[in-house]
Amino acid sequence: MECRELFARLSEYMDGELSQELCERIRQHLANCAPCVNFAHTLKTTSELCRRLPSRPIPPDVAAELRAFLSSQRQAS
Amino acid sequence: MPDEHALIAASQAGDAAALDELVRAHQGRVYGFAMRMCRNVEDAKDILQETFLGMLRSIREFRQDSRFTTWLYRIAANACLKKRRRGVHDPHPEQELSLDALMPHPDADGRRPEIPDWSSDAERALLNGELSAQMEAAIDKLPRDYKIVLLLRDVEGFTADETADMLKLSVSAVKSRLHRARVFLRNELAGYFEDTGAKKPEKF
Repeated sequence: MECRELFARLSEYMDGELSQELCERIRQHLANCAPCVNFAHTLKTTSELCRRLPSRPIPPDVAAELRAFLSSQRQAS
Repeated sequence: MPDEHALIAASQAGDAAALDELVRAHQGRVYGFAMRMCRNVEDAKDILQETFLGMLRSIREFRQDSRFTTWLYRIAANACLKKRRRGVHDPHPEQELSLDALMPHPDADGRRPEIPDWSSDAERALLNGELSAQMEAAIDKLPRDYKIVLLLRDVEGFTADETADMLKLSVSAVKSRLHRARVFLRNELAGYFEDTGAKKPEKF
């Protein structure tokens, strides 16, 4: 496997979506290619960071406006 | 909080208090998603209203054998796409991200690019709170069709199948967009870590 093919399949590899055979070829490539290892690490980190982005709490006035809007819609129907 | 199944069943039977509670349980998450998609409070408010109005109107059609959040996010995602199609914010909503252009290429002498591993610096920067703003800014630069997939998959944590179902895309299209979006984001973050000199590149 070449860097290019590995590069194209890294997300599927990370997400456990590839066949055993392909995973093995990827592992073999990674064993001998430091730049690809670093790319894979940083791509995985990027995805994990997304999951840990702080939530954006809903401002109380936005929540109040939503409540008022929904109640007016309910009354109208 | 009563169990969501019961809350949904009561809402379907017309219980207004149960409906209110369902809205309260999900409004924060939908708001966060809408803010990331639209980038401003006014549009996020519209998305929020449209999503929960949609919920109110069609809650009876919801089948308990599917996941409620997925069902609700389908309404929210479509509201976002409809809004963004009006072209208010995104000058290049249909832009394609090419994998070739995103891949680090050898230099003119054919040497492999140096790729520093800044994973541990990222961990530290996240704990310090420095990184979130960089991440949000990088996500904002993604073309709409990639951004929505990245948000649903990596930020909100839906599966590829659920995301495909919500966006009426094939699973392989979701995977392809997700990969490109992740690589784009990774490259943006790499630029940030290079600029801040967080770590010297290692030589190969």
